[in-house]
Parts: sequence; structure tokens; C-alpha cells
Amino acid sequence: MTDDLQDFTRQVRGFLDAHAARKTGRAGFRWGEGDDSVAYFSADPPDVEERKLRAARDWQRTRYENGFGWISGPPEYGGRGLTPVHELVYDGIESDYDVPDTGTLSVVGLGMIGPTILAHGQQAIKDRYLPAMYRGDVIACQLFSEPEAGSDLAGLRTRAGPAEGTAGRQGTEGREWVLDGQKVWTSVAQHSQLGLALCRTDPAAPKHRGITAFLVDMTAPGVDVRPLRQMTGGADFNEVFLTGVRVPDDHRLGGVNGGWRVALTTLMNERATVGSEGSGPVADALTPERLSALMRATWTWDDRALRRGLSQLLTDIMATSHLNARAFRQLQAGAAPGPEMSVAKLMYAQNLTRAAHFVAELLGPRIIADTGDWGTFAWAELLLATPALRILGGTEEIMKNILAERVLGLPKEPGIDTTSPFRDLPRSGGAAR
Amino acid sequence: MSESKEGLDELRDAVREFLAAKSPERAVRAAMETGLGYDPAVWQQMAQQLRLPGLALPDEYGGDGFGQTELGVVLEEMGAALLCAPFFSTVVLAAQALLASGDEAACARYLPSIAAGQTVATLAAAEGNASWDPAMVSARAGRAAPGTGAAGWVITGTKSFVIDGAAADLVLVVARTTAGPSLFAVQRDAPGLRAEPMVTLDLTRPLAVLTFDQVPAALIGAEGQAGRLMSRVLDLACVALAAEQAGGARRCLEMSADYARSRYQFGRPIGSFQAVKHKCADMLVRVELAGATAREAARLADEGAAGFPVAAATAHICCSQGYVFAATENIQVHGGIAFTWEHPAHLYFRRAKSSELLFGGPAVYHERLLDRLGI
Repeated sequence: MTDDLQDFTRQVRGFLDAHAARKTGRAGFRWGEGDDSVAYFSADPPDVEERKLRAARDWQRTRYENGFGWISGPPEYGGRGLTPVHELVYDGIESDYDVPDTGTLSVVGLGMIGPTILAHGQQAIKDRYLPAMYRGDVIACQLFSEPEAGSDLAGLRTRAGPAEGTAGRQGTEGREWVLDGQKVWTSVAQHSQLGLALCRTDPAAPKHRGITAFLVDMTAPGVDVRPLRQMTGGADFNEVFLTGVRVPDDHRLGGVNGGWRVALTTLMNERATVGSEGSGPVADALTPERLSALMRATWTWDDRALRRGLSQLLTDIMATSHLNARAFRQLQAGAAPGPEMSVAKLMYAQNLTRAAHFVAELLGPRIIADTGDWGTFAWAELLLATPALRILGGTEEIMKNILAERVLGLPKEPGIDTTSPFRDLPRSGGAAR
Repeated sequence: MSESKEGLDELRDAVREFLAAKSPERAVRAAMETGLGYDPAVWQQMAQQLRLPGLALPDEYGGDGFGQTELGVVLEEMGAALLCAPFFSTVVLAAQALLASGDEAACARYLPSIAAGQTVATLAAAEGNASWDPAMVSARAGRAAPGTGAAGWVITGTKSFVIDGAAADLVLVVARTTAGPSLFAVQRDAPGLRAEPMVTLDLTRPLAVLTFDQVPAALIGAEGQAGRLMSRVLDLACVALAAEQAGGARRCLEMSADYARSRYQFGRPIGSFQAVKHKCADMLVRVELAGATAREAARLADEGAAGFPVAAATAHICCSQGYVFAATENIQVHGGIAFTWEHPAHLYFRRAKSSELLFGGPAVYHERLLDRLGI
């Protein structure tokens, strides 16, 4: 580690020691004691969710006031002016402490939208939103995916056009846009004051070249956020309907029809999640101690086939964490990031899926109906969550394409979809656009 | 020894360059068809030019005092090149057995010539049932009759799957005394020792059956200590093997990716088809995991960390499976050409499968992981 990072590490520890308590170890696990939740998605009632959100905002403000709110951001917007590696170092150290989970603010808003505004926003917009976001006052969401634009994000269809009577105005002063369409899978939209929307502004251009990005006031008339109930029964995502939503032209990011570059900035800032999977109820449940205790409790410990299943599962989980740990150390040592993060994401989804099905095999009927026994039916939450893990944040298939093309240099699949006018492309159901 | 990236890269480049010159495919094929199974001239050059046999041996025994991390870099490259040489047997199995014995006199006697590349050595642990379980050792050692001039002990029994057993000058043997499994040193020309090469699946790693009939032997370390020693040596051997496997798997991936970029069918490179692309991505995933577990286990060995035995067992499983997967899919990506004798893919497939099973395979390694986890 470089001197600079060692010094930074000391500062981080000093800050955290002053404002938070260190986590206690997991060593205290005893079968049948404590919370048996194995929920991947939050399952909190509204009042608990509200309380957690308040705690998250307070903690983000504390970070901000102590110089850790936006470690890689420029000082003129409240940032610290350091590197993404410093940010990773901070995250790694903070994970040793018991602090509120700030995911609602940080995963999308601070991690992805903030850097996009910084790269593409006008001065007044940066001044207005960036400090407020990193202080924890403004939460932002990403209005990208649509019912007909999933893996093929550039196939999005939400329209944006100049508002009547404003297009002819001199300069950009007073010009407005009108947005119409539907977005889906929008995390944290219900808590957001700001959304980054990608819209179709030129259907005659090839798909990547007719998109424009806008910052949308989520409280504006015509923005309708509806919870999307997922297969676990909870609602972690939203549908966002945009109906005649007016957006001032100064809230446009990047050029007209230059939105794809803006989107790439957002996607490239998808935070490296080093170490972040090492905590939480799922990680706590997938330890050798917990799983062997479960096998003993289900009288399966002596079953050779199941012992082999346990070993295989633990091997893959430990291998993934070794990969993460090594990637983290290499970044700390100043090396460029490799494919480890993408590999770890693929493995993480696979490991949790296998784990859920392995545990289901141990539990048998006790995971299809609740006997009231500790640590049994609770696993149904994880089982039902696992199909999402191979889809969200880039499907397994798309992730594999990216790995093969970017790391191994394999050629892209030939196609006409990137050169033809967007409106001429065939779409689901056979209708023209 | 700290994990300095520049130092490791330099070492890797030097070894890779050496192997590109001395162990290209035709040299591998030539060596594997000789009775000895390796080229003694290349073995000497490895010792004299690169000091590889002594790399990870302690300074006081003529080595350069580096750790498992540096040794791992060398083994990754050797695995990638399918080098035919008695490196694993001599430097990993035999040298680690000597070090683990704690017998300083024996270390001082044997290690300097191992470090200098003058002695080829091996460890004979498994017998006909291939097990590394000390309880399964049935070869016996007894006190030599007075006045026979032997080093005090004689061994009788049979050892199988002995790596480079027919080429070794020095054979370390696990044999049972009244105190339990114990380690002994036997010289290759000792009377009553017969070495019979086995017909092997992997053509690049010779195995032999050694038959001992009242063979004079010297006790290494204390009597009855070899059970614990086998466990320690096996952990280190698994990590060294993991490095070889990770290197071999990566080479298979490179071969597949090269081919997928350059082979045209249906008017396009086959790598543009998702069925092939995803296969290559799956290989990449396994290769990355294999490399990470092998290197992490080596790092923990060097730190003397409590987590080392678990990491070693993890690396052994992950690298065994990853290499078999990569070597198998490499053939599939290439299609029919890879099924020919002339194509190198089968050499990797043979190495991968036999490495997976060398220390027992899935029937044993899963139980070993659970054992090392202590759950």
C-alpha cells in the first residue's frame, strides 16, 4: 500500500472510531438463537423502512461533514478530491463497523447519478444538486429500463420532444421538453427527488444516436411512481409512468441525441462492490458453521452426498471471496481493475442460487410449509429471491457477452440493429414503432 | 517475503521466456516419449540459469528463501507449458517432506543438492489403494540386523503412484514402524529397490511402482511422526498443484479464445456466436477463480496463517474442477481438430484429469475440506 493510502486509512479509522462502533464477530452463533432471517430483499414494514432511511440520511450527512461523503468527488462540490481506490479503501474499512446501511442513497444516486451529473451537467445544475445529494438531502434514481428495453437498453421508447411554444425561444433560456413513457425496475424511486431519464428524441436515427438524457424532478406533475410487487411478495422496485412531464432544457445532460454517452457514464460508474457481499443476513447464513449446524439439525450430516454438496457450495463461496479479496488488494496496490468484479457478480448469483436449493434439499417439506421451527421456513425468502440475482444489474447472458468481448476479445454478434433507423427495427409483437 | 507485484512479474517473465525456449510443445512431446520422462539438460539449465529448484528453499540449505507465492508463479508457468521435469516431485513433495520433518541434519544433508539441481528426489506415500491416509500405510520398516552396514533400518513393501519414482536419486518413503508411520530416506541404488514405470493417463508426469525388499533406509525425524507430516505436505502439495492447474487452465482458455477469434464458419468468427462466446466466458470465470484460490492459499502459507489448510483444500477443489472444465471445453471449442494426437489439447486434458485425481479426487477432497474446516 502506498504512503498516501496508509495515511488515508488512518484518517478513516480515526473518523469511524469517533462516530461508530466496531462490529462484534460472528463467533457467537448458536443454533436456534437470534434472528433467523435469510432475506435478500428487504422485508421491512413502512415504519421500519422510514426509520432506516432517516438513519441512512443522517449517516451520510455525518460522512459528508467529516470529508467522507464523496471521497472521489471534486472539492468545489463538497468532494474530497481523491481516487476511486480511496473510496474502495473507505468501504472496506467501514464494513468493519456497525453503521446504517446507506444503500438507498448511495448505490444508484451517489454511485452512478452523481458522477453522471458531474460529467455532463451544466454549471448551475452541478452547483444545485451535487452538494445536496452527497449531503444526503437529495436522493436520485435511474430511469433507464423499460418494459421493452431490458438487456437492449438502447431500444428504449419513452419519448421526449420540445414543449409546444417553447422550441422557438432564443437560446436555451425558457425552453422545455415534454416526456411521455414508462420506466420499470426503478429502485428507490419512491424515495427520490431526482431521476435520470433516458428518452427517445430522434426515432429516425439509429438507436444509440437518437437518445437524450434528462434530470427529472420526481415531484413534478405527470410523474407517477407505483410499487412493483416482485415474486417474493415484497416491492423493492417501482414502475414510473411519465405523462406529459415538463423538463427545463437546462436539466438536459449532454447534447440533444447525445444521451447514450451519458448513459455509458452512468453504467461505468456502477460501483465496484468489493467486499460488500461479506455482510448482511444472507452472508451471515452461508457460513460453514451455520450450514453444518443446519445439517445436524436436519439429521443430514452423515449423508455423504449432502456432505459433498456442502463442500462444493463452500468451495465456490470461499473461492468467490478470495477473488474479491485479491481484487481489492490489487486495487489498493494501484493496479488497474481486471475482470474480477464481473466474475464475482456471476458467481455470487450462482452461489446464492445453489445455496438456496441445497438448503431446500436439507429442509425438505419444511421449506414448503412453515412448521414454526427456527431457521427453517425462513430460507424460503432466499429461495424466492434467487431468480432475480441472475437478472438484475445485467443478465447472466449479457455479463458473459461483456466478459468474452472485453476480456477475451471475442467479436460481437453481427447485426443491423445499430445501423438502421430505430423506427424501422422489428419489435416484440411484430408492430412497427 | 512481501508480495511485490513487480518482483513477481519479473520472475514470471523470466520463467515464461525460459519455458518458451526450452519447453515448447515439440520438446514436451520429445521428453514424454523418453524413458526418463524429462530432459536432464533442461533440468540443469533451470537450476543454473534460473535457480528454480532452490527458489523457495531456506537460505541455510542453499536456497534463495522465497515463499510459496513465488514458487506458485513458477508452477503456474510450468503448468501452462506442460513442462516435463521432476520439479513437483523434487522441490515440492520431497523438499517439503524434509522441511516438515524438522530433521535439521537430514535437511542439511539433502536440501543443498536439491537446491542446486543435483538431486532428483520424490516422496513415496501412497500404496496400491492410492490413499494418502496415514492409516492406510502398510509398508514396514524394521531395525536392520547388526553388522549389515545399513543406515539402521530396512523397508519392505510396495509404493504406487510415486511421481518420478523411476528417475529419483533419493526416495523419501513413508513406512510403518512399531511407533506408527515414519519417514525414511532411501537411495536409488540401494539393494532390494525396484522401480517399475506405470502406464499413465497423463503422458507428461511419470508415475512408478516402487518395490522394497529389505531395502536399507535412514530414519528422518522421529519415529511415528509421518502421519502429521503427510497432512502438512499434502496441504502444501495441493497448493503447488493448484498453481500448476491454474496455469494450465489459463493456457486452455487462451487457446480457445485465440481459436474462437480466428476460426471462421458460416462466414463469421465462431467466437461471435453466443454459444461459443458463453462457453469461453464460463471458462474465464473458472480460470479467474482457480488463479485466485491458488494464489490466496500460497499467500496464507507464507504468512503462516491459521486459515491456510482450509485455503489449501479450497484451492485444490477449485483448481481441479476449473482445469478439468477448461481442458474439456477447450476441446469442444476447437471441434474435431482437438481430438487428433497432433493437437496439444489432449495433453492438457490428460494432465487436468490426472491432476484432479492424483491425491484422491472428489471422493476424498470434499471430505478433506470439511475436515480442515473443523465443522
